Amino acid sequence: MVASILVNGLVYSGVYAMLALGFGLVFGVGRVLNLAHTAFYMVAAYGIFYFASTGFGMPLAVVLTTLGIVAAGIAVYKLFIEPVREMEATVLIATLAVAVLLQELVLVFFGNEPRHVPPALSGFTQVVGVRVGNQEMVTLVVAALSLIGAWFLLSRTKLGLAIRAAAQDREVANLMGINVNQVTAIVMGLGLLLAALAGIAVAPLFTVEPGMWMNPLVIVLAAVVLGGLGSLKGSLIGAVILAFAEVSVVFLVPGGSYLRTAIALLIMVCVFFIRPEGLFGSSIAEER
Amino acid sequence: MKSLICCLVFSVFALGLSVSGQVIRIGVVGPMTFIQGIHHWRGATLAADEINAAGGITVGGTTYTIELVRVDSNEMQPGPDAVSAVERAITASKVDFLVGGFRTEAMLAMTEVAADYKKIFLIAGAADDGLLKGRVDKNYNRYKYLFRITPVRSTYLAQVSFILLRDVVETFRRELGISQPKIAIVAEQAAWANMIVTLVALQAGTPVDKGGFGGQHVGTWRPSALATSVAAELTAVERAGAHIVFTVFSGPVGVVFGRDWGRLQVPVAAVGINVEAQAQGWLDATGGFGAYTATAGIYATGVAVTEATLPFIEKFQAEFGELPLFTAGTYDALYILADAIRRADSLQTDAVISALETTDYVSTLGRIVFDELHDPIWGPDYITGLGVQWQDGAPKAFWPREWQPDPAKLPDLVISTPGTVPYVIPPWVKDHWQGK
Amino acid sequence: MYYGRYLLRYLQNEILVLPSRVIVLVFVASLVAFPLISQDPNLLRMLIVTALFSLYAVSWDLLSGYTGQISLGHALFFGSGAYASALLSSHLGLPPYATIPAGAAVATLAGLLVGIPCLRLRKHYLALATLAFPIMLTGLVLAFPGFSGGEGGIWRIARLTSTRIEEYYLIVGVMLVAVFALWKVAGSRVGLIFHSIREDETAARALGINTVRYKLFAFALSGFTAGVAGALYAHSSAARIVAPGVVLSLFMSFQPVIWTIFGGAATIYGPITGVFILYPLLDTLNVVIPKYRMLVFALLVLFILRFMPHGISTWIRDTIERVCPSCQVRNIATRRACRACGVELRHMQP
Repeated sequence: MVASILVNGLVYSGVYAMLALGFGLVFGVGRVLNLAHTAFYMVAAYGIFYFASTGFGMPLAVVLTTLGIVAAGIAVYKLFIEPVREMEATVLIATLAVAVLLQELVLVFFGNEPRHVPPALSGFTQVVGVRVGNQEMVTLVVAALSLIGAWFLLSRTKLGLAIRAAAQDREVANLMGINVNQVTAIVMGLGLLLAALAGIAVAPLFTVEPGMWMNPLVIVLAAVVLGGLGSLKGSLIGAVILAFAEVSVVFLVPGGSYLRTAIALLIMVCVFFIRPEGLFGSSIAEER
Repeated sequence: MKSLICCLVFSVFALGLSVSGQVIRIGVVGPMTFIQGIHHWRGATLAADEINAAGGITVGGTTYTIELVRVDSNEMQPGPDAVSAVERAITASKVDFLVGGFRTEAMLAMTEVAADYKKIFLIAGAADDGLLKGRVDKNYNRYKYLFRITPVRSTYLAQVSFILLRDVVETFRRELGISQPKIAIVAEQAAWANMIVTLVALQAGTPVDKGGFGGQHVGTWRPSALATSVAAELTAVERAGAHIVFTVFSGPVGVVFGRDWGRLQVPVAAVGINVEAQAQGWLDATGGFGAYTATAGIYATGVAVTEATLPFIEKFQAEFGELPLFTAGTYDALYILADAIRRADSLQTDAVISALETTDYVSTLGRIVFDELHDPIWGPDYITGLGVQWQDGAPKAFWPREWQPDPAKLPDLVISTPGTVPYVIPPWVKDHWQGK
Repeated sequence: MYYGRYLLRYLQNEILVLPSRVIVLVFVASLVAFPLISQDPNLLRMLIVTALFSLYAVSWDLLSGYTGQISLGHALFFGSGAYASALLSSHLGLPPYATIPAGAAVATLAGLLVGIPCLRLRKHYLALATLAFPIMLTGLVLAFPGFSGGEGGIWRIARLTSTRIEEYYLIVGVMLVAVFALWKVAGSRVGLIFHSIREDETAARALGINTVRYKLFAFALSGFTAGVAGALYAHSSAARIVAPGVVLSLFMSFQPVIWTIFGGAATIYGPITGVFILYPLLDTLNVVIPKYRMLVFALLVLFILRFMPHGISTWIRDTIERVCPSCQVRNIATRRACRACGVELRHMQP
């Protein structure tokens, strides 16, 4: 039982962490609560479905999908979000409208029926007595590599320093000679890249359908606030906590596995009673 | 304003046609952007074209042709759309009859509208007992307008799936020598599934001579109907040591289940209800991993339930390139309606209702006779449905085959529908349990 | 006779001078007179839903637009109002005039219950915590299907009135009265305090305002209003059934936000404008181009927000009227001098 929870929880953690990190970065630096984040993840899953079915070969399909997503996402950001960036509620609705727009475009082009993407590695392996699909392993590896890559970028490069500075204090970073707008666009691209990779990695695992962005969105939002807005470490830990909460519900209360999201959110709300600023958020961060 | 103009145009149009008096308008209700709704529409158009080509419906010396009105209930999306669509169809498009429908909660609301306007609604697509039970029997005058064509109500659907489960349990006993197979239940979280789940859980462990399955119930999992992965649930099922998993799915989670089950080669045999597995695109949707899934179904390759079945399936396949889904039962609904109108020799609602109540019609699904709830009677000689398993890339029927509906009282009654094949235990499941 | 003349003068001096007031007058009059023009049940039903959703949108504006306590889970209040009245109607057979106040009371309670823990949360934390509540309530509804009807929902809900016209007048009447009352609240000292909480809560506290009490009041009032809308919806001819997939959905939570931001936040009339444009539009698109309805809808929202980020009604108001720089009285944009103090208005930015 423990092993099953551990293994399945890790897979979900990987996916949620990728999404949460991208979302958290965009929020931290751009101050944009991007409700369309997981919609790009959905489009990426469709992208890989489309390119894979037209016979491009996996590596090329992955490259084309990620490039497409990043380009489209930045275009949308420049066109619709940046001009209204100062008004938080407007940004909220604009990003929601983008999400609905993407969903509807996908609906028009691909229709409603659930799509299937062939796994990169089929079959399964027994890990400590638990049956794990090889594709799950692939997903986990992709997630781990992306996260390590993001960590390296953020902590070991000059660009990473600029990003972290902008996340800490936009105005001061600007004064320090960092081109904040440029950094924001780069971070936007980075977030989209992570979303696209997550979408590609889960496409063979989850059903590819136009509504597949809703549930991850709720979980990602919860993970990011649970960890504390603006804290990247917090986002990751929040994602892991919620993933394990969901999986534990499935194993411990089988009759209630439809309650997994509700219970994960309950945990988030309970944490708020104790720490209103999330696990790793700082209470001063509000005043920025 | 636009909708006002729209309504005006519609009503003028409708008025013009009803004055000429040659048309019976039938609203086909369904989620038209989803496969279920598309099949609603396809089944209905096929029937309407056939009936019209054969000279339409003659009532009191006047010949009427059928005109279909597409009613997009958008019922997959939550909201007041379904009610609006039906009311608009009745008041603006002036439909005389309604057929179709899919989701229970939308159907409950839409049939209320039909009852308000006293329009006959032939349900083709929703199984919930409560659509008719507690309504037609309790308040006949309000709800007499509702009839169900397909599928049979969920109590019967459950009964079929029980028989299928028994078949699979027997196969395990016979072929693998497992005397008490362990049964797990995975059912989507939906109202119509609750009763089925409770009954199976109850009977799984009951000995065979007391009417149970003589197995052992090892757990029930209820994923959301919209879950995108059930890998965790399946791992849990395997851990529970199950041999057989009984499924109850009507939504997209059925595809998810079929795919994860085949991909992870979970060593349990899946049988039960899985609506998505009735669709032609099942193997594509599951990436081929859905092979050997078994479900209660309506249509299967090469199985003639009645003499009307194969011609319909062939025509449908020729026209649209796939097997009809159960929502294409609008085809039979239109024929049954036409039959009732002819017998009533009137378009008066009450006369048509009386005629419908005395329906005895051989449809593509079986012989349709309505009971006092306006539900089609289930059983041998009436509608039974099929047990369908995906074998060799096609949906094959494995039930009714050597079926004894009542071995105690009628030991000689054995039903085998032509074209059925035996149930096959998925090879990886067989390999896993052989010799254990 | 005297009152007649007084009324006429009031009309001339206070209403006809400002285009925005004329618009409101025409709007109310045409709502009241609409059944004289058409009694088409579809149009009436559409307007009934529009009126209900206006009330719902205003309730969001009151909490989130005014006090800045962004709620992304407003369906909780709408849903608990709808569920409470539907349950009472279906299980106990109570008439609508008993169940609707009960539904509103339950929603008010829900507002307080959510408001108290949320007092500690700020901005985005609050928004996302509220997002969780309707999802948790959905879980609760699904967990007790025997009582709540589960996923299929509750039906056998008593109808509000016997005819569509009566229902129309009842719901439109309730909407107009409630909105007027809320407009008065928003224009009063309480409204000012709400504004001040949004702009700078610390400063408001420093002025001796018990912001906790006012925030809770905003939660309760907003819950109450949304609850009335939800309870009316449950009994209306548009619903017939109360199911979690409808009244507690994520979409239901986001809708008032879309309407309000689209129309213009913290204005009361903004959300109403938003609903009265967007809902009939969506309903019409559903008939004309069902396949592309949400696509067109999303594009429209995006473009309007891109070019009128403060909302459409704010944009219109700023275009047709301008504020006198010296006495802060509003004037029609075509006037040369302020109607109150006579200061020159030309060549000034609105």
